Amino acid sequence: MSWLLDILNFRIIGNYADVFFNGMIATLWISLVCLVLSLFFGVFIALMRMSSISPVWRIAAAYIQFIRATPLLIQIYLIYYGLPQLIGNFFDETQTGIIALTIHTTPYMAEIIRTGIMSISKKQTEGAMAVGMSKQQTMFYVILPQAISKVISPLLGQTVVLVKDTSLLSIIAVFELMGAGLQMFSETVIATESYLTTAVCYLAIYLMMLIASGFIQRKLGGADAH
Amino acid sequence: MMQWLTAKWQIIESLSPFLLAGLQSTFEVSIVAIVCGSLLGAMLGILKTLDSTILRICISTYLHIFRGTPYLVQLYLIYFVLPSLGIAALEFESYSAAIISLTLYTASYVTAIVASAIHAVPKGQEEAARSCGMSKAQALFYVVVPQALKLTVPPMASVYVIVIKSTAVLSVIGLSELTRQGETAILRMPGDTMFIYLLIAALYFVYCYPVLRFASWAEGKVGDKS
Repeated sequence: MSWLLDILNFRIIGNYADVFFNGMIATLWISLVCLVLSLFFGVFIALMRMSSISPVWRIAAAYIQFIRATPLLIQIYLIYYGLPQLIGNFFDETQTGIIALTIHTTPYMAEIIRTGIMSISKKQTEGAMAVGMSKQQTMFYVILPQAISKVISPLLGQTVVLVKDTSLLSIIAVFELMGAGLQMFSETVIATESYLTTAVCYLAIYLMMLIASGFIQRKLGGADAH
Repeated sequence: MMQWLTAKWQIIESLSPFLLAGLQSTFEVSIVAIVCGSLLGAMLGILKTLDSTILRICISTYLHIFRGTPYLVQLYLIYFVLPSLGIAALEFESYSAAIISLTLYTASYVTAIVASAIHAVPKGQEEAARSCGMSKAQALFYVVVPQALKLTVPPMASVYVIVIKSTAVLSVIGLSELTRQGETAILRMPGDTMFIYLLIAALYFVYCYPVLRFASWAEGKVGDKS
């Protein structure tokens, strides 16, 4: 067994098991909060983007283009240094990170939801209007549920990207999985164990999400079939 | 107002040589990674569609590993962990580590795109080519791949934007690309942090936006014909 210890000292990893576990939990809940927020705002940005009022859709389009054409790291820095200047030190690092990631992920979700909405046949709107639904009711009870179940697989793909993106929050000192790896590295100065463990933990999350997304797609894809 | 403008203009004037050098470095790194990554990815993508279970499993494993972990983790693994193995050829300085990690990262996306594009070409095309007396390799390279190539253009362009944006992460290993140059500039002018980050964001936007526009234009073109 000693040759294995030369390559990978799993005893040290054992000492840091709880750090990595906490990091994984942090990554998961940060991702979950960002996912919920970005889906919520994404629906509104998508509706704004599809609006026929010129200033409304132009603002949404400019926001989407700006986020898509600049790196997340720069956006995180802008929020991290800009937010305290605007409103004072109101949020801690984790909250700032969640805000930055939500601002980053919302346009991607909005674009996916928009393609979903556009793929729903016009007859659905006409049918809903004909039974006396208002415009809002039609959108929220008829169009959106169908649209979201149609684009569920790109939404899940974007969620995987979101989980990976949380790693960049370690740069503004948010404690999550990457932060756990960096902490172990700064305390033990052994790169192999620190970063390999981080990678394996991310892969574990990824595999869990692969399995979960297969399950979700079977559930919601079935609704699409009939 | 005038004073403010001249002050900002002075910042732009004094920083522009550094930021433009950074942009050039970002441009170089991203182009090299895009070219190498596309070639590697195209090769792996074609190999993945061949009837070899072992090849397919190997390539799928590679894809899952590189798409399941954040780019930051991959960069740390290649920059910090590979040199600690004690093999001289794997002791990269930051530039080669950047190129190698970005190439592998790009290739993981390109492989998936090429493989699915080849799958999207109707089976009848290959059968027809084979029945004309072409060999398997001839059918692949003269009939299937040229048709698949067209389908890869729009998703490829969006992947290139992802790669360009990922180069911002290279600042953490000290490569003097755009983000790093900006950080150095901020050390010299700490009062204008926000303004300098906005400048960097604008430069990334100038680089990425045309590629994004090209992607959506190409999507419209390819979508029309099918």
